[in-house]
Amino acid sequence: MSPTTRKEPRRIKDMSLPSEQVAHVEPQDLVPLPPPYDKLEEQPRFKPLSDDSRAKLEASLDDTLCIGCPKPASKEEEERLIQAFISGLHKLFTKENNWTFLQPLTLSMEHCARCQTCVDDCPVYEESGKNEVYRPTYRSEILRRLYFKYVKPGLPGFQTFQNGGIELNWTLISRLLELSYRCTLCRRCAQSCPIGVDNGLITHEIRKLFSSEMGLTAKDLHEKGTVQQLAVGSSTGMIPVVVKDNIEFIDEDMTDRTGIKVETKWDVEGAEVLLLHNAGEILAWPDNPGCFALLLDAAGISWTMSSDLVGYDGVNYGLFYDDVQLARIAYRHFEIAKKLKVKKIVMGECGHESKALGVIADRVFQGIPRETAMTLMADIVFSGRIKFDPSRNDFPVTLHDPCNLARAMGVIEPQRKVLRYLAPRFREMHPHGVRNYCCGGGSGFAIMSQFNFQDWRLQINGRRKFRQILEAFQDTDLTSNDPKYVCAPCSNCKGQIRDLFDYYGAKEKSGLHYGGLVELVVNAMVDLKEPFINWEIM
Amino acid sequence: MTVFHILAYASLLVLGAGVIARILRLASMPLHLRWELYPVPHERGRAGYGGSRLEEVNWWTKSHRADHVTELRTMLMEILLLKGVWEHNRPLWLSTFTLHFGLYLLIGEAALLVLGGLLILTGGALPQALGAVILALAWAGYLMGLAGSVLMLGRRLFDPKLRAFNSSGHLFNLLLLGAIHATGLLWIAGDPLYISRLTGFLAGLAAPAGPFNLPMLGYWHVGLVLFFFVYFPFTHMTHAFVKYFTYHNVRWEDEPNLPGSRLQEKIVRLESQAPTWAAPHIGADGKKTWVDIVTKTGEEKS
Ligand code: SF4
Ligand code: SF4
Repeated sequence: MSPTTRKEPRRIKDMSLPSEQVAHVEPQDLVPLPPPYDKLEEQPRFKPLSDDSRAKLEASLDDTLCIGCPKPASKEEEERLIQAFISGLHKLFTKENNWTFLQPLTLSMEHCARCQTCVDDCPVYEESGKNEVYRPTYRSEILRRLYFKYVKPGLPGFQTFQNGGIELNWTLISRLLELSYRCTLCRRCAQSCPIGVDNGLITHEIRKLFSSEMGLTAKDLHEKGTVQQLAVGSSTGMIPVVVKDNIEFIDEDMTDRTGIKVETKWDVEGAEVLLLHNAGEILAWPDNPGCFALLLDAAGISWTMSSDLVGYDGVNYGLFYDDVQLARIAYRHFEIAKKLKVKKIVMGECGHESKALGVIADRVFQGIPRETAMTLMADIVFSGRIKFDPSRNDFPVTLHDPCNLARAMGVIEPQRKVLRYLAPRFREMHPHGVRNYCCGGGSGFAIMSQFNFQDWRLQINGRRKFRQILEAFQDTDLTSNDPKYVCAPCSNCKGQIRDLFDYYGAKEKSGLHYGGLVELVVNAMVDLKEPFINWEIM
Repeated sequence: MTVFHILAYASLLVLGAGVIARILRLASMPLHLRWELYPVPHERGRAGYGGSRLEEVNWWTKSHRADHVTELRTMLMEILLLKGVWEHNRPLWLSTFTLHFGLYLLIGEAALLVLGGLLILTGGALPQALGAVILALAWAGYLMGLAGSVLMLGRRLFDPKLRAFNSSGHLFNLLLLGAIHATGLLWIAGDPLYISRLTGFLAGLAAPAGPFNLPMLGYWHVGLVLFFFVYFPFTHMTHAFVKYFTYHNVRWEDEPNLPGSRLQEKIVRLESQAPTWAAPHIGADGKKTWVDIVTKTGEEKS
């Protein structure tokens, strides 16, 4: 069987047929980027997988690997894995194992009309040149056919007649595992489904089946992610003493640069706000927590951070693959807030943290109220407590809407209100807000670079966002490095945008910079002797 | 009572039981984690751009009144005009709209026929105006339904975007609907007594007395409709009413679990179940409850 190209629709059944590789994307299949990024020969090359990886790992889906599941050592092991998958499939549809999503999943399994109305809204499918296996409905259809075959078979032959058949074997299972990590769970496709079927949710549930029953998942999400976070306190590996050291350093640096004394508060009982950052900010974008500390003090808010294990890291990768891990981390966050007797938790500039703790965990534990940093910032900016000079932000600014904030929480206006006031050259991307495109780093991809996965997530997954950013600055000179700022109020999105800009050399070529919202707010504060943003060190 | 009577009762029974069973099964599924998807149309003043109450500082202290008018308008636009398909899959819209709208018209016709049947049973006669409306609905319904079935069948067969996902059932469903509309159309075109025969049929179902007075085409048409009733509850076509759940129970379901909320009691019950997931990091043994697994274990395992 030859690899799929956009010209050759791939039948669902073919996924069970052994072959070297099902899908392949050529550089010329990809949707072109606008100038000065339009020359194929100047684009980074997609590194092929090594022969060793192909020999040892299940790599027959496409050009990359995310999970890199080892090939079974024997027929017996293969059979054991198949049985484990079937067992997990059954459990996925039981109350005791999956009460968390049983109803939405069943609804999505049983009522899809296969009308394909959702497919053109998926950036992965579109940007790949409409490669069949990246269709939002493709992986869903595999699970659906397995569901009707094993979980809800009905009269003999009826479900195959109604829903199509499929052969279950290890080839199919291993491809489905990889395929569940080719979707960012952005749920843009779900918005366009007239019936209310959610292909993003189905992907989430496939990941859960593999993780919760078979222990198969992405190392960056599990071992280095939730497991490490629960064990040492943060998915970054930072233990409490290291976090405190790092923050102390950030405070000193902020004080030096702004002339305003910045001092982070730790473990203050009864504070109004428990500020919970994605700990990645502390290591990768220290200006962000530094600016929050400065801003909250300037606004006269009583706030604190927590030095308890997990209490200084709002990351919750459980959201992307495993409800139990999600709940374990959310429980810690709630307990810490309770112990500190704070009035509310404010979730820093992190989309998935905001969704996990702010919305999803709401049905796991009843806890201290939570709100996003967007709302608090808008409140501070328009409270009159701080003086601003918007002319300090006199450079082109555009806004990326993190999917988890916009589509999953409906938090859209506060950040815009701030930008319309404080960034005189603010312009929107199109589409934006609730219909935004994912940065391509969603569902944990931003932290994944194993094998050649980085090439895939930057060339295919992040392509739509990169194109949108370039289009937003079309009225500027994209061949000059005059600074342009992409405001991305989310740590994971920032990670992906950083990698996109590095990959395409966009900072040097076009002056593209990125950062959060709070940096722009602080940059415009009149109390600062000089603007805070320094393009040289960004 | 004839065999046809028995078949008709049986198919109505299967339809009723099948629909009710599906509704009960879905409605009795446990409360799930929040998974709403914006825009949520009952967000007063914010639905237009997809905003939510979470945009407000200290949102839990503010009163929240749902905007049911916008929600209803959104539902009607979706149900009657298939707005989602119009916006996201324009090439498919004409075929699916004609198919669906034809069915709505025929449902309207059926409701008026039942009314007519009741009038006859109670000794009255069918008012002329009502008869005219029934005829208009039937003609328009059959024509649109047939056109929609044929157009959809064409799309399913020839549009590569849809073809790879077809099952035999999808094609059969369209053929069946097409056959229902075609027989209806032929019958109404050739039989001036179309309405009285159908009202008579319905009255005969309610009060069985001898065989029905239907022409051969009528028997075919009614027979196909009855078969559809038996078949429908077991297909994805139930999305017609299940859409209520996908929208109201998932996509637009945004009730927060605030202190005093009725949700908390349900959650505590759900968390007292014992999962059996087999991956070691979960630590399930079929006895430990979900909440114990989450709050008391897991830190050290990978
Ligand atoms: S998920 Fe929705 S839009 Fe996509 S094929 Fe199924 S019914 Fe159609
Ligand atoms: S959730 Fe997003 S990435 Fe996944 S299939 Fe849907 S649109 Fe594509």
